[in-house]
Amino acid sequence: MSYTLRGRIESRLAAVLPALAAALALHTWWAIELVAVMLVVGLALDALLYDRVLAYQPGWAAVPLGGLELALVYGVLHGLGIMAPLAWALGLYATGWLAAQICAHAVFPRLRPEYGEAGGELGRVGSLTAVVVTAVVLGGLGAAYATRPPTIHLHGTVQGPLVIRHPETLTGGTVLGGIVVRSNKVNIRHVTVVGGENGIDVEHASHVTLDHVRVLHVTMDAIHVRDSAVMVDGCTVAAPSGAWVQGIDISYSMGRAMSTISHCTIAGVREGIVTHSSTVEIMGNRILDTTLRGISLGEMSMDMAEGNEVTAALGVGILCEDHSMCQIEHNTVAGTRVDGTQDLARQGIAIEAHYYAQARIAHNTVVASPGGVRAFDNSVITR
Amino acid sequence: MRCAIVGSGLVALAAYATLRRGGVAPGDISVFGTHADPTEAWRTRAEAIRQQRMRSESDGHLAAQSFPGLAVHEAVRRGSPMPLLASVANRYHPSVGDFLAHARSVRARSGWDESFRARRIERIQAVGGGFELDGDGPFAHVFVATGHPGLARPDDLPAAVHAYEPHEYGPQVTIVGAGMAAATEWLNALAAGAEVISVRRREPLRRPLNVPRPLFSKRGLGSFHASNPEARATTLRELSTPSYPPGAAWDEPLRAAEQDGRFRVAREVNGAPQVITATGFEHGFRRDPLLADLVDAHGLTTHDRWIVLASDSTVPALTDATRSLSLGGVAAQWAFPAADTIAGAKYAAHAHLRRVCRTR
Repeated sequence: MSYTLRGRIESRLAAVLPALAAALALHTWWAIELVAVMLVVGLALDALLYDRVLAYQPGWAAVPLGGLELALVYGVLHGLGIMAPLAWALGLYATGWLAAQICAHAVFPRLRPEYGEAGGELGRVGSLTAVVVTAVVLGGLGAAYATRPPTIHLHGTVQGPLVIRHPETLTGGTVLGGIVVRSNKVNIRHVTVVGGENGIDVEHASHVTLDHVRVLHVTMDAIHVRDSAVMVDGCTVAAPSGAWVQGIDISYSMGRAMSTISHCTIAGVREGIVTHSSTVEIMGNRILDTTLRGISLGEMSMDMAEGNEVTAALGVGILCEDHSMCQIEHNTVAGTRVDGTQDLARQGIAIEAHYYAQARIAHNTVVASPGGVRAFDNSVITR
Repeated sequence: MRCAIVGSGLVALAAYATLRRGGVAPGDISVFGTHADPTEAWRTRAEAIRQQRMRSESDGHLAAQSFPGLAVHEAVRRGSPMPLLASVANRYHPSVGDFLAHARSVRARSGWDESFRARRIERIQAVGGGFELDGDGPFAHVFVATGHPGLARPDDLPAAVHAYEPHEYGPQVTIVGAGMAAATEWLNALAAGAEVISVRRREPLRRPLNVPRPLFSKRGLGSFHASNPEARATTLRELSTPSYPPGAAWDEPLRAAEQDGRFRVAREVNGAPQVITATGFEHGFRRDPLLADLVDAHGLTTHDRWIVLASDSTVPALTDATRSLSLGGVAAQWAFPAADTIAGAKYAAHAHLRRVCRTR
């Protein structure tokens, strides 16, 4: 197809309708924001690149161009700090891309026979659709902006514990004694928490994001999550006060949306990341020197651990246990140590399935872990 | 009766199907032509050159809506996604059989036979409220699709058979021309065991479609329509250079035959026993008696061999808010350089329908 610039723009705006409808159905701001970013990136490429370079665009070009746009959209989302769950975001993007192909090759030519010769222009209906889509997206963004929670900037050190009972964004500063989250739509960014029993305690809440938080010197869990859906990204947990401290514990949240833990660094705790009866995506984290397990996916959880580095764990690197179903891929587990007991399940095992657990593993790198990869007690490991 | 189509070939069927899709009833359309079967003239030529595949792609069919195209039909029929994948990669060219079968179904579904009148129109006369066709009418909207005016035959080869006429192949065949028909004939004659001599004035131009792809859409047409008459005529002359598609399916048999000494290029015919002229069609409105009369009787603007048309393929001097005269097929090149393709037929047909709809 040889698009005109107007044709590209009208086609793009009209073809985004299915993705926009899906975003509205998801009823979350990140979805609207993602669609807006998809549109802005696409329209910018249309005007600045595609229209100048592609006098004719063959059908197959949609694949590499779709990849290019996906990379740019991901970059913009990251740059703007829009935290979208990866799988859902990819699904929404794929919906938009697929809808665009179906529209361009089937729906538009069917509804408007001169679509091809008009260079993708959709006529009056297209203009109207473009206006409606623009209005809905801008309206959605406006609503997101107008209803965004207040932002509270912390300066210096604040004596805690802080209890958050309303949607808000808390940013910067240091809190002594912990933060308790009891509200939906709470964002905590670049906050350092020092001391307390649980560093950040989230209970009965959804749409909570913990973005680049640091938690130090706690006595129980650095991040403690119960019956909640959280997105934790870029956190740091270190310097535990005592031998029983856990890094991130997400438990009993099966009834909530999936949680994610990504790009965190956790060092020197008893267990780095622990789940019980939850659904969690654990991606790209670094976990060092744990004294019980690096990552523990337990108690009927349905989790995915992908691209993590677990180094020098005592006993077990990554554990899938107690009727859980785990997908463990592309992780690196190195230097898992024998813990010195007679427990066969703790003999420096890099990846372990235990007690009726089902672990699917693939493309993991295991280094200097004498126990290797093993299943115990009616568990199954599939490769 | 509001609409008339003059001509009964593929372009006429495309225009008819488009009008029908636009809601014009068969009773409101008269199709005047010499062949009840709109594929007959084209099919005869395709059979003469033993054409197996279309140069056009999936949407090269005569139905009003381009989707579903012929690739979709073939994929469904074969239960295979391969035609669709080939189409996405611009590698799909429907078979002539599929194209003709689809054309037959368009003819049957559209009600073509209900509107067809077996009559050659000799004269179009502008009158109040439209146009009279040999005294019939008036018709408010007339679409003229008389096709190519005739086969081009080199004057110095009166005994040669034209590629578009039925013929067989002797042991040595000289083929004059360098376009799609010539290339098809080279392969046909080689496949029949003949030794082939290609006589041509220039090296063949290799182009996937008749004209560059941007000229099939508003993107390329915008600058074409904006150019001055001489620049436009120059573009059309350049585009009329014979060409055929690139690809191994064409090159490999020729290369192999060349190595075997069965294919060579020559500048002159030089007393060859069998000569086939693959030299296409005659050019220009003057070769078409109906169009020549239309121009002379109404003082229409022309440039070189083309009738000057508006960008929507209408004749400006004979088109206003109440009536329209549109040209389709090769005569409409002034509006759409690839007018003699199926895409060109549809371009003119869509524009014609817009005119019809505007005056409903």
